[in-house]
Amino acid sequence: MTAAAQFIDVSRTFGDFTAVGSLNLDIPEGRITTLLGPSGCGKTTTLRMLAGYTAPSSGTIRIAGEDATRLPPEKRNLGMVFQSYALFPHMSVADNVGYGLKLRRIPAAERRSRVAEALDLVGLGHLAAQRPRKLSGGQQQRVALARAIAIRPSLLLLDEPLSNLDARLRVQMRAEIRRIQAETGLTVVLVTHDQDEALEMSDVMVLMRAGHVMQSGSPAEVFPRPANRFVAEFLGYENFVPASLSASDGATTLTVRPEHLEVVQGEAPDGARLALPATVTGIAYRGVDRHLTLSAPRGEGEDDVTLIATVRADHSRADWRPGDRVTVSARPEHVVELAD
Amino acid sequence: MKARPIAAALAVLGYVIMLVPILFVVASAFTSSSTLSFPPKGFSLQWFGKAAAYQPFTDALVSSLLLAGCATALALALGVPVALGLHRGAIPGRSLLQGLFLSPLVVPELVIGLALYQQLMIGLGQTAFAALLIGHAVLLMPYAVRVTGAALTLADPALEEAARGLGATPWRAFRTVTLPLLRPGVMSAALLGFITSFNNVPLSLLLQSRDFGTLPVTMLDYVQQSYDPVIAAMSTLILAATIIVAVVAERTVGFTRIFGGIN
Repeated sequence: MTAAAQFIDVSRTFGDFTAVGSLNLDIPEGRITTLLGPSGCGKTTTLRMLAGYTAPSSGTIRIAGEDATRLPPEKRNLGMVFQSYALFPHMSVADNVGYGLKLRRIPAAERRSRVAEALDLVGLGHLAAQRPRKLSGGQQQRVALARAIAIRPSLLLLDEPLSNLDARLRVQMRAEIRRIQAETGLTVVLVTHDQDEALEMSDVMVLMRAGHVMQSGSPAEVFPRPANRFVAEFLGYENFVPASLSASDGATTLTVRPEHLEVVQGEAPDGARLALPATVTGIAYRGVDRHLTLSAPRGEGEDDVTLIATVRADHSRADWRPGDRVTVSARPEHVVELAD
Repeated sequence: MKARPIAAALAVLGYVIMLVPILFVVASAFTSSSTLSFPPKGFSLQWFGKAAAYQPFTDALVSSLLLAGCATALALALGVPVALGLHRGAIPGRSLLQGLFLSPLVVPELVIGLALYQQLMIGLGQTAFAALLIGHAVLLMPYAVRVTGAALTLADPALEEAARGLGATPWRAFRTVTLPLLRPGVMSAALLGFITSFNNVPLSLLLQSRDFGTLPVTMLDYVQQSYDPVIAAMSTLILAATIIVAVVAERTVGFTRIFGGIN
């Protein structure tokens, strides 16, 4: 895989605060890479450094193999979609999309056809003459995408592109952005704090915390095998069991997703990796699911381990009640060993 | 919308307090008697003719328009770059500078006038027009800085970045994106400034000379000497001109857009 862009030992500090600390990252060509993490993790600073709006304090940024560290934004040929969309309110949709083409001195006829092409790609050909403020949030988002794509950028950068849309539209736009990426073959870098968005859209996801990469890889690599407790927590692993409660070497903590815990009365199923006696302490009714809170003793005056399990309701027997004594178990493939 | 009787009544009362005295003046301009009185006796347009033909008024009107136009242009030429500089931040002592440019609102105009009178007219021997121009421009600076600044604050800072990302140099991004967005702010600053300068009395009173007087000061002089309907007619003419300007402004830019940026 060739890199469309590379960060080599890139840091950025703001006064005493380190937004990004010696980042090394390759952005693979023709793929969607997402930078994922909570606010303040450095993902937006990373994107802004790539776009040229924020200068790195140290290190090198390469775009298409060339050193671009000190290049101003207008010389990078990147298409950026801002969180606020940043559409020019005094221009029509077509003029917004054509802005970058005009600056590139593309003749009017070709400009018109490329604007139309970009607007058709996002399905807004019929709104070319409108002013942006007349458009809905979802439509403005598409115009911003068309404007960024029209210049045929070497990378398409998306800063929390879906965060201002309502939930239903957000899910639609995920598929839409994937489709546009597939049709254009563009290299996309997307910043998000939404793990579902990252899982659905990424070819490569990069999890960041406090300016450092905590783990990166494809969703299929990262999701079932979080490398550390931060990534596990961020991806929705809610159960952290000290390794001492189960035979394991090297690991200090075992983690399991709530939906992968099995709760039975009596013996744990054969071949279970984890089998803990526990007491049901709480139950939340979630339609077909039951959300159980359980407490497993650790022994010798230590605090109990709290576990969370999402289990299907079993109508052949009575529902769970607080105080039920149960065995909580998980199959080996669902148990992740963590070193921290 | 929910009916709010108390707020509505207060609004009506406010309009009554503002408008009724003006109506008195307008009505008494149409009187056929030779004294200023209300209700007007009879109907006549003679006072309008007299006001328009009275040369000190016409001379002063030309002076006032010239002064207001030049002072507004000067205040904007200085104030818009200042507003941009203050908005972009990263200037040491930013709030001090901000305060400095707003200070003409706080310092009594008579003090400014006296200072300029001593320094420019007595000390440097400048003409009344030069002193008035500088004085009025100083007076209008806060409007130029604040109103354009408000328009800048409303603009999304990502807009200029977006333009840069699409290939615009900083100057090009400023010219094609920031400047057009600033236009309503500059227009409203100009309108406010022009009206403020045109109506100003204290500064003009101190800085005028025998051959250059502004209209409000000339009218003040006139009232002190003779109290007849000419002054009501002149006031009505100014009011009519102002309404025409307001209507034109509303039709071309829109008042809500002009004044929307103030608060």
